[in-house]
Formats: sequence, C-alpha cells, structure tokens
Amino acid sequence: MGLPDASGDLSSEMEVDAFRRLFPLRFYERHLAESIRPDGRPLGRARDTTIALGAVASADGSALAKIGSTTMLAAVKMEVMTPSMESPDEGCIAIDFHMPPICSPIVRPGRPAEAAPVVSKQLSDTISSSGMINLKELSLVSGKAAWMAYLDIYCLDADGALFDAALLSAVAALFHLQIPAVSLNDDGKIVVSEEDGGKLEKEPVNKEKRKLTLRSIPFSLTCILHKNYILADPTSEEEAIMETLVTVVLDSSSQLISLYKPGGAVLAYTSAVQDCIALTRQRVWELQKILDEANSGMEVD
Amino acid sequence: MAGRRGTNPTTYSPSLKTQKTRSTIFKDDWVRPDGRGFQQCRPAFFRTSAVTAASGSAYAEFGNTKVIVSVFGPRESKKAMMYSDIGRLNCNVSYTTFATPVRAQGSDRKDFSSMLHKALEGAVILETFPKTTVDVFALVLESGGSDLPVVISCASLALADAGILMYDLVTSVSLSCLGKNLVIDPILEEESYQDGSLMITCMPSRYEVTQLTITGEWSTPKINEGMQLCLDACSKLANIMRSCLKEATTTSQE
Repeated sequence: MGLPDASGDLSSEMEVDAFRRLFPLRFYERHLAESIRPDGRPLGRARDTTIALGAVASADGSALAKIGSTTMLAAVKMEVMTPSMESPDEGCIAIDFHMPPICSPIVRPGRPAEAAPVVSKQLSDTISSSGMINLKELSLVSGKAAWMAYLDIYCLDADGALFDAALLSAVAALFHLQIPAVSLNDDGKIVVSEEDGGKLEKEPVNKEKRKLTLRSIPFSLTCILHKNYILADPTSEEEAIMETLVTVVLDSSSQLISLYKPGGAVLAYTSAVQDCIALTRQRVWELQKILDEANSGMEVD
Repeated sequence: MAGRRGTNPTTYSPSLKTQKTRSTIFKDDWVRPDGRGFQQCRPAFFRTSAVTAASGSAYAEFGNTKVIVSVFGPRESKKAMMYSDIGRLNCNVSYTTFATPVRAQGSDRKDFSSMLHKALEGAVILETFPKTTVDVFALVLESGGSDLPVVISCASLALADAGILMYDLVTSVSLSCLGKNLVIDPILEEESYQDGSLMITCMPSRYEVTQLTITGEWSTPKINEGMQLCLDACSKLANIMRSCLKEATTTSQE
C-alpha cells in the first residue's frame, strides 16, 4: 500500500538515523505518542535559554540571546535626527532583522532569506504596539534634535523559533542600552560631551535621561500545532516537518500583545490557542527571570 | 532632500571624530593605546563549532575584533557554473551595521572576499571535492583592527572543523608601520594613522606563504624585519589554533 505501511515494516530493521531522514513525520509521531521529543524534551518545554548583555563594545547597547542552538545578536546604535513636524518631542526607533549567510545553509550572499523581512516586520510591530518604549524619552531638544535608535538584530545560528530569540535579544539590548551624554555645540549639532579632567566642557542636554524606562516588556513563545499535540519552541527540523505555527506575545504582566498564526494545515481550536497562551504565560515568567539574572550578573562585574 | 521629512530622516552620529595628533607617535615615549609592547599580539581566543547549522564553523576574538566564519558544503555548484574536475571555493565577508564605531550599512566587503579566497585557495586540496563548491562565509561582528587577518585565520579553522582537507592550517598576521616603529597586530586606531602595512598569510608547518600584501613606503631592511616578526607570530598562532582543534575533538569523544 502507501508509504506509511512500508515504513512500518522496514522500521524494525532500519537504522534510526536513516528512518529519521526517510520518514521524518512518522519518526516524530512515534515520539509524540510517547509524549517526548527526539531531543529529550517534553512537548511543552522550551530549550535552555541564555542571555549575555554587552556583547558588542562598539554599540550603545547589545545582547546575545541563545535558545537552544538558535543564536541572535542584537545591538543598538544611537544617532541624532531632526524630529518630524507632527511629533517634535519624539525620537524614533528603527528595527531591522538580518539573516547573514553564516546562519543557515539556505541563505546565500546577495539573496536575502524570505523569513528575514517577515520577522523584521513582526518585531517592529510587536515592539511599537507593546508600548515598551516611550518615544518622548528619546527627545533631546524639542523640535530640533531627537535620538534615532537603530536596533539591528543578526541571526548567527538558525535552528527554529527565530522570532522568539530575535525578540528576546532585542528586548535585552534595549534593556542594556546606555544613552551617551551629549551636548549642543556652537554649530547646533549634537556631540558627545567629552570629559575633560573631571568637568564637562558643556552642560549635557540629557543629564537624567541616560537609560530607557521599559514599561511592559514583551516576551514570546512559538508553538507547533500538529494533530492534537502542541510542541513549544520548535527546532528548525520540527518547523520543516510540521508546518502550523502559533506565536503568542505577552507582556510581563501576562497581557496579550499579539498573536500570529500564519496559515498552516491545522486549524486552531479555541482550546488549542488557550493552551498556547497558557504555555506562553509560563515561559514569560521563565524569560523574565533569565533577563533579571543576566542584568544582576552585569552589576556584579 | 533638505526640508523634506521622509520615512527615513537623515541622521548623524554624535561621536566626535577625535583626530589624535599623529605627532605623538614620533615621540620616544609613545606607548600603544592598549598598553601592549610593539611586538606583542593581542590575546587570541578561538572556538570551533559555533554555528550548528553549518558543516563547520569557528569564532575568533582578538581584543575587540570578533568574527564568525561558517563553512557549508561541499555542495552542488551553482547551475550556471561550468563543469570542473576540481572543487570550487566561494568566499564572502560581510560586516554587521554596528561593527564599526560609526554605524554603516552592513554590506559585503568584495575586496576582503577576494583576498580571503586568494589566501585560502592555495591551502585547500580542491581535488578532493570535484564538481562541488565549498562556501566560506564570514561575518565581522565587531571591527577592532586587523580584521582581515583574523577572518583568514578563523576561516582556516572553520574549514578544518568542517573536515575539508588542507595542506596545513592557514594563519595570518598583519603589522603597521608607524613612523620608525613596527607594531604587530594593530588595533583600529593604530591602523587609522599608519604609514604602511604588511600582511602575511602562511602555512606555518610547511613554511610557505600564500599571500603577502605590502602597502605604503617601506625600506628593504624594514620589510625583512616585519616579515620575520609576522612569520614568528603566525607559527605561534597556529599552535593556539591547533590546540583549539585538539580540545574540540577530545571533548566530543568523551
């Protein structure tokens, strides 16, 4: 008959690795029936996550986030712009997500990955709609000068759940951001105040506003829906085999910021979506703790 | 453009372009900004298998210079490529937008890509993977000076990690000529006011040079002195890289 039966007969004799490659879906379904995943995780558990703040010295704020093997490096560089007429007291934040050719065999130089602009848009939507950053804090001189924060996120190793890792690194980089003290020079330009033997040459225009107050920090969790199973934090192999993804973004007080379900073969029932949100709530608590630990680790040094 | 507020307003970096007076380097008591001796390299750190998605990869950190190199393949050559009974090496070097002190559009460095290719091509045994291509992609996470030599050394380690056959590891060290001083492994600041530069890429155990670039004004004895300094540093670097590879294999066997 069809392939599934053939694989059933062969599987006893075949090596596990060959079986995994030839019948990936069957391989996974056998694991799922036992409520375990090939990497040893229970279905609802995310991979080990680490954050390192201040990975790039040439940026004003930076962070390296790892979820399993998926690695993201985010850095913020502050530049000065003239604010728009409509909002003279507001700065701006420009978010860009990059997938350089080093991160995955699919990406080649000169041919950007399809996923990159999608994740880029999701990130800017999430960060702007979460209200995490008060753009008024980025103002320097009303109507004359304001900060433009360039937040660039690079994927160094792509192994699934790219959006989750990218958002985590972006948030951590903004958390780590230290705004330079600047003053207005005679030409009306903003320059970094140079400390000259303890006293500043000119009075800085942003004496107090050196760190952003992050109001509600967004955290996310991506889950795969496959039949009745929900798999949290998928690897790239899992994403390739089972295609229905749901990404839930919650803030630190568990309020829903956004929910993405970009198509897929499985229709999500309300109960499945609720389960995803419940898993995310748990994950937010974990991630908040990891971020706090990374921050306290910085202060000790 | 002036007056018009588009979606992307023009911005500028507030950091001052501090042009250190070059004259300080001609004084006798000049010390290097990071306090190193003239013939002292920065501490080198290597780690293999940094990217799991690649066949082989390596991360290198020399002071503030941080690079990652991934190797993919041997895999199918591009369709348009002619038949070739030896393998091909395809190299690409790019920078992140935040790598340099002032933000730049993260872009491909075509010049570095071709230099990397030329530096490695002599060391890789291309006959072992006919008709296919090995891709060597480098990303400079942070530029802190001597970027290209670090990329080249890191790339040869990544090739070794991917199991691509080579005659020897390739190591590279550069040197700046500042007035009458020769400083090895220069940082960004030193490179910005150098009179001349010398970069050697070699296979230390075979004592063969795969690439040598000299720019600026040099006298013959200075070139000899500089080359000897670089070659010594290259063989020391090879020892560090070799021990990194050994460490990686012993930990994976356990």
